[in-house]
Amino acid sequence: MTASRSSDAAQAAAPPPTASTAAAPPGAPRDGSPAGSIYDLGYRRYEGVRLGRRHAIRALYIYSLRGAFGIGRSGRAKIAPFGLAFLALLPALIAVGIAALTTQAGVGSRVESPIRYATYLAFSQTVLVLFCAAQAPELVGRDQRYTVLPLYFSRALRRSDYALAKLAALWTALALVFLAPEALIFAGRVLASNDVATALVDNLPAIPPILAVTVVTALVLGGISLSVASFTPRRAYATAAIVAAFVIPPIVAAIIAELSGGAFATVAALLDPTDLLDGANAWLFGGSAGNEVLTASSLPAQAYVPVLAAYVLVTIAATLRRYQRISA
Amino acid sequence: MQPLISLRSLTKRYPGVTALEDLTLDLDAGIIGLVGSNGAGKSTLLKILLGLVVPTSGSAQVMGRDVLREGPDIRQFVGYMPEHDALPPDSSATDFVAHLAQVSGLPATSARERTAEVLRHVGLYEERYRLMGGYSTGMRQRVKLAQALVHDPRLLLLDEPTNGLDPAGREEMLDLVRRTGREFGIAVVVASHLLGEIERVCNFLVAIEGGRLLRADSLETFTRRTGVLAVDVDDGRDALVAALVAAGLQVRTDGHSVLIGLTDERPFDLVRDAAAELGLPLVRMEQRRHSLEDLFRDEVPAQ
Repeated sequence: MTASRSSDAAQAAAPPPTASTAAAPPGAPRDGSPAGSIYDLGYRRYEGVRLGRRHAIRALYIYSLRGAFGIGRSGRAKIAPFGLAFLALLPALIAVGIAALTTQAGVGSRVESPIRYATYLAFSQTVLVLFCAAQAPELVGRDQRYTVLPLYFSRALRRSDYALAKLAALWTALALVFLAPEALIFAGRVLASNDVATALVDNLPAIPPILAVTVVTALVLGGISLSVASFTPRRAYATAAIVAAFVIPPIVAAIIAELSGGAFATVAALLDPTDLLDGANAWLFGGSAGNEVLTASSLPAQAYVPVLAAYVLVTIAATLRRYQRISA
Repeated sequence: MQPLISLRSLTKRYPGVTALEDLTLDLDAGIIGLVGSNGAGKSTLLKILLGLVVPTSGSAQVMGRDVLREGPDIRQFVGYMPEHDALPPDSSATDFVAHLAQVSGLPATSARERTAEVLRHVGLYEERYRLMGGYSTGMRQRVKLAQALVHDPRLLLLDEPTNGLDPAGREEMLDLVRRTGREFGIAVVVASHLLGEIERVCNFLVAIEGGRLLRADSLETFTRRTGVLAVDVDDGRDALVAALVAAGLQVRTDGHSVLIGLTDERPFDLVRDAAAELGLPLVRMEQRRHSLEDLFRDEVPAQ
């Protein structure tokens, strides 16, 4: 029997519109029942569309992206992501302020600000790593800590979809945190100049490298962080492991570069994503990083981006594998 | 019509443990009780039906489709209430259930509408806007049921739904499960180790033990077979037994009690007459409520 809504059973006296249900069972309270008791106010069949897997993935992606900034959570959950995003923005604010002042003073063209598109990664990389350390465990550890995964895996997506949606959410969040200050510098340079049109033309060529660096940075930092975080439900462990993954390799690489150089230094550089990012950033902006670790290695500058791409692929594979095996 | 659930030689082995052994079974829609002691393989079976666990060998189909190949498509129409806690404490019930509705394929607007309806249906009102970290066990169980129903599944899989509830909460949960199955036409599989609960809700039973199928039958068949009349007499138990056997009844003894298989009303009269004839003091005569546990204890007179 597929009792849905039998209109003849509609006791018109019942509460709101949704309450015209299949005959309420004998003994079930109609109204005035103590709050919290289970009774029927109107289950209805759903006759609408079911949008399937792609919609499910998108819903998880958006929910996770919001979660990366603590949106939809308690106020406390927003402190870390928004605080760090503000820290990432701070140098840009200073740069724009200086640019405005120097323009007013008429010395704008003679003063080269240390805070430029090409140098911004150096200012924000630490903040981005901290953002990863704080929010990657939030994105993936939470579902493991509270065993939410069975609720996801029993829905209209696959395990790999879950992993990719989470990765995409962290990548997007990082890209936003990185791109916002670059956009602010751009806007500041253009709007604060005496000749907006010329300034716009001057600054436009910076956009492709900015976008390229954003993509590479977000993919590398996000991929490493999320794959590390996905291996533990414990928040503190994940945070510590992510920080370690970005802090230890550069130290080791710097020591090796100092002491030996040569083949060892090349291996050390290959195992050090932060210095590689530094090099890739400089290369994409058409300059040279002057990075000691990379200089000591025999890696050509063109190799930085492909090596980082390999990092991204490995971390994606590790994350997918982790979610293929995790018990739910 | 194809069966709702179809299992073929389904086997799941974990290192050192066999969770399911060569399970072959066809199940039609209804309220199906999956009974067995803890560790019998109930949860594993539900998880295989959801594609959460990959079987070692054999196959499982739900609504005629393979659970591994067509997982996401099938799961749009399946709701699952896991045994253990599964709710993040830093979300409100409304936000979380609406989100899960979307992950089941519902558009955002429908997801919100249905979330409000379903949470009311399970009895959550103003508290649904609060963070779930402050919920009682009973409220958490309700949210778990709500998230399993929010996308209006054709098949509902419930793993120990009364876990952690007080007696009143159990009653309400069982009532809700019963009505979900009977009045809304949703097929339900309830896994439980509490036979008393299962038999009050279900119309079909699947008993598994140690990963093997013990029996699958309608509730009526189960209970008919397990109907038992227990008679206690002070002395002369053996004389009574002899008289009843002579009258053609299936009789067994258990301590002081004489156990008689019940298929109709006849044994009541026969016991009365035999006791009167032999002059035996009848201490107690009780029709044991069709206890499914007899099935597992094997103290049922053979028929």
